[in-house]
Amino acid sequence: METWIEFGRGPLFRLAFSLMVLGLLRVFVLTLAGLAESYRRNRDRIVPWGEVARQTAAWLLPAGRFWRRRPVYGALSLVFHVGLLIVPLFFATHVLLWKRSVGFAWPAIPLALANWLTLLVIAAGLGLFGGRVFHAGARKLSRPQDYVWPLLLVIPFGTGYLCVNTALRPATYQAMMFLHVYSADAIMLMIPFTKLAHCVLAPLSQAVTAVAWKFPPGAGDRVAATLGYPGRPSWIEGARLRDADRGGVNDEVCAK
Amino acid sequence: MKPLTAEERKQAFSTAKKEGVILRQRLPVRYHVEDFAVRERPRRFLEAFAAILKHANYRLALDHYIRVSAKCARCSTSCQIYLATGDSRDIPCYRSELLLSVYRRHFTVSGVLRGRILGDPGLTDEKIQEMAEAFYNCTACRRCSFECPAGIDHGLVTHLGRYILSEIGITPRALAVSVREQLTGTSGNTSAVPVAALLDGLEFLSGEMREEKGVEIPFPIDQEGAEYLFLPAVSDFLMEADTLMGNAAVFRATGDSWTVGTGYFDGINYGLFYSDHVLEHVIAKIAAEARRLKVRKLLIGECGHASRTAKVFYPAFSGDGRESLPVVNILEYTHQAWKRGRLKLRPGAIEEPVTYHDPCNLARTGWIVDQPRELLRAICRNYVEMTPGGRNNICCGGGGGTVSIDEIQPYRMLVGGRAKAEQIRATGAKYCVAPCANCKKQLRELMDHHGIDCQIVGLHDLLYKAIVFD
Repeated sequence: METWIEFGRGPLFRLAFSLMVLGLLRVFVLTLAGLAESYRRNRDRIVPWGEVARQTAAWLLPAGRFWRRRPVYGALSLVFHVGLLIVPLFFATHVLLWKRSVGFAWPAIPLALANWLTLLVIAAGLGLFGGRVFHAGARKLSRPQDYVWPLLLVIPFGTGYLCVNTALRPATYQAMMFLHVYSADAIMLMIPFTKLAHCVLAPLSQAVTAVAWKFPPGAGDRVAATLGYPGRPSWIEGARLRDADRGGVNDEVCAK
Repeated sequence: MKPLTAEERKQAFSTAKKEGVILRQRLPVRYHVEDFAVRERPRRFLEAFAAILKHANYRLALDHYIRVSAKCARCSTSCQIYLATGDSRDIPCYRSELLLSVYRRHFTVSGVLRGRILGDPGLTDEKIQEMAEAFYNCTACRRCSFECPAGIDHGLVTHLGRYILSEIGITPRALAVSVREQLTGTSGNTSAVPVAALLDGLEFLSGEMREEKGVEIPFPIDQEGAEYLFLPAVSDFLMEADTLMGNAAVFRATGDSWTVGTGYFDGINYGLFYSDHVLEHVIAKIAAEARRLKVRKLLIGECGHASRTAKVFYPAFSGDGRESLPVVNILEYTHQAWKRGRLKLRPGAIEEPVTYHDPCNLARTGWIVDQPRELLRAICRNYVEMTPGGRNNICCGGGGGTVSIDEIQPYRMLVGGRAKAEQIRATGAKYCVAPCANCKKQLRELMDHHGIDCQIVGLHDLLYKAIVFD
């Protein structure tokens, strides 16, 4: 077990972390490239970047309007995200591991704070899961991954808390640490390929939408030509209906 | 807001379409659609989707939206359609997922691979039918975009869904017929108003104003080199005499040069609702008239979608980019003129309680929110605010072109406009100012249907009563 845990903290962690960073970098860069390409296609090049920046900031900092709807769910989400980001990076033991691994480190948070944040993350994570299960709208929309993620993310926090704060028999401690390390590695591996990529992509949403509403000139005509209807746009009465060479005019086709 | 009763639900979703038509077209939607080719619809839908992805700019947004969606249903909390029906198919994210799932399954590498491995057949005709229904239940008011933590704009997805459907022949007949008249008909506008009728009407209005105000207030016609080319919703020329008189009176007061162009005088652009192709061609007509008359600015009248379409798309589609003519909405113009003291208004001219309805296309981006309110506060004794309002206003229920589709009126009255009707009733106002031709039609029908004693007017209707000439 010891070797497995060391493997999970060592090579596997490095692999998972690298893949996470590279994967996120990939989608981020792809989106930026897409933005550049779309911007290039627009003839007018007019995008209200100031407004986009302002709205991006407003979206990232959940103040004001964010509390009007589903305030409890919103509060849980905020608490969840805060703990999720702070504890893995600033918990003292993790900081030591980083120092051992990459050679440098940064200030750690006090243990008491880490403990509180961990408990809040667990509570909020379960609350978010409940908020999804017991809300009809959310249930209709949710895919399997939407149910799995809040629960999966709670596992490293739960096992971590137990390892730090409770007196466990060695075998149990090893099992908890194993779960802790491997669940964290699995999460990191999955982040770039699932909706968790929103951690780097969500800030780009306002820019993406602003650019996407800029339609390239001439596109409509080119679409009609590609579809085989040059000079017969969709508003010409019946023109596409009477299109014989598309296997059209017979009893399968609507007749006037 | 009270959700629908069973009786109301039945009425709202009733259809006047004949069963035979629905079967022949294999399209169980409530709006009329002109006959179109039905065979192999999924294939042609995907072809249209592919062509649009290739030539337009949607890939960026679609790739992004499929990745970031949190599936949290926050959007449902502000959608007036969902709040009325309680049907989870009306959740904006659910509706967008109809199209996004097609994109994911057919146009992304992982989606295609997963589909092949899992044996997912992909797009079916049933799904197209569902989309045809869903995308026209939405008014594309984009109120949901404020709630989405991932920043997804469901109005954009609705627009794209409608565009693809239009390319395979599925468009509400009401919109298609108007566009046909506008782009290929003899009158060249969506209401088939002939130029002679236009000129007669404007002359008549000048006469009215001469009598009422004792001042000569002309509507300049075909003035070359004028500063502003005036493009209201063409229906204003038929139905909104008071608004037009207000518009003309403002220009008489400021003295700026403006003109109506007999070559093209219709600000309406249904392309915003359902087709980028239509959008561009209508803008081209505006551009041609602007060049013909060598005007220096475009002035859009009291119409939400006409203003937004011109403002956002004129620079690209007119071909002039950053050098293209500035686009001004008449509310902006009038407000600026009043602020600079070029327009005198009599304070307290309107005694009855007045409230203001923000058209989505003017207010959602924060473009025109405070300006009309400042003007109303200047001329009304009793101005009542509706909340929510401003950027977060509630849609009139007729947005996205749905107001022009008469056969879905029960739906608009009982579902789409339900929240708005209750809002207006709660103000107790005698006048509701709605500076948008489509909103006016929808709100008037709402007032009628719900028995609310409130007159829907344009802003310039009231300004006309308050304007003071030196």
